[in-house]
Amino acid sequence: MKKVLFAIAFAFFALTGYQAFAQEPELSPERKQAIDSLALEKVRDLSKYVKLIGSKNTPWSEANRVIDRAEELFAPDAEIGVSSLAKTKIEYYKVRQYLERLMRLNYDRVEIDWYKIQYVSDLQRQPDGTYVGVITIFQTFKGYDAEGRLIYQDTTKKDITVYVKRKETQIGGRLIGFWDVLLGDMRVKETTKK
Amino acid sequence: MLKQLKSIIILAMIALVTLCGATSCNSSKGMSKKEYKAAVKQAEHDLNAILNDETDWTLEEQLDRINELKKIDFSKKNPEIVEMIERAEQKVTNAIAERDRIAEQKRLEEEQRLRELEEQNKPKTALTDYFTMIANAKDVTTANNFIKEALKMFESPDAVVLIRLNNYGDYDRPTTAVNYLNYLKDQKKVNVAVDNVKYNEEHKITELELIKK
Repeated sequence: MKKVLFAIAFAFFALTGYQAFAQEPELSPERKQAIDSLALEKVRDLSKYVKLIGSKNTPWSEANRVIDRAEELFAPDAEIGVSSLAKTKIEYYKVRQYLERLMRLNYDRVEIDWYKIQYVSDLQRQPDGTYVGVITIFQTFKGYDAEGRLIYQDTTKKDITVYVKRKETQIGGRLIGFWDVLLGDMRVKETTKK
Repeated sequence: MLKQLKSIIILAMIALVTLCGATSCNSSKGMSKKEYKAAVKQAEHDLNAILNDETDWTLEEQLDRINELKKIDFSKKNPEIVEMIERAEQKVTNAIAERDRIAEQKRLEEEQRLRELEEQNKPKTALTDYFTMIANAKDVTTANNFIKEALKMFESPDAVVLIRLNNYGDYDRPTTAVNYLNYLKDQKKVNVAVDNVKYNEEHKITELELIKK
């Protein structure tokens, strides 16, 4: 009798466990590729925003608008690391604070470029359904004075954690399923002179 | 001789009157009594068919028939036929007017539909042109002017913009018209195609769906 009860219980849990798994199937390679690309694109978008905010040619009102757009890319409370060749300590700022400091940098001309934007840790699905990965970027920073002389430059490698979560919203009576990409902390990995 | 001629004329007249009486000369010109009777019967049949919608004739054929019947004088012996003719004529005239009204309405609706179709196709092209113009603008001022123009095509700057990633129901975070157009200006790239556009009654875009290329 005990064996029978055990078999029934086992069958029940196996079945319900299977159903729970079946409700949230793994993404197909095509869909996974789509969200991989989407997250990478958000980081590339950020690179343009950083360049615009840092540029002294960007009108003040435009720079402020771009700061708003850039801030929307990040999760609340995300922090961005700032390094300098002159200091060993890496300072971390809230995203908005970082972007506003970037807009007011004490140079007459600033050039910021990001390159080698790629995954160092692929998006992995977490138990709550969120996909988490790490994207690395290299940033070259150049600051010029009024005479157009390069007075500071460095190259920094930064790691950005990305969170991708499936959400739903009603639009025009239609249920739209979208992938919400949020950037987390941007950590400085190394800074070199170049 | 003259007396004889007078008698012949009187006799001829009597014979004519007698003959007319015998053949029942009708009040309708040139129609015998038998012919008139047949005409009444046919008129009743045709008019009833018209009044009761039991004829396959077109409205114009019905009106032609009514006009034919109007040429016969039924007023003395069959006033009911005259009344039927009047009713039938009114009915057919009304039906023709209603048919023409519906046809005109349909024509106007078709014209409107074609106009809307034409206009729907127009902005679709123009919108993608604006995307390219904004992304490739030589400076911020030019881009902003293009954005201002493009926004006139939308119901409001906050009209929804959806960006579809694939055909599996995956979208990017929904955005608005003004934010998307500014995005094109900031990123200087267009990597989407217009997939679907929804308009309001004033033909302004209420919802824009794009798909990643």
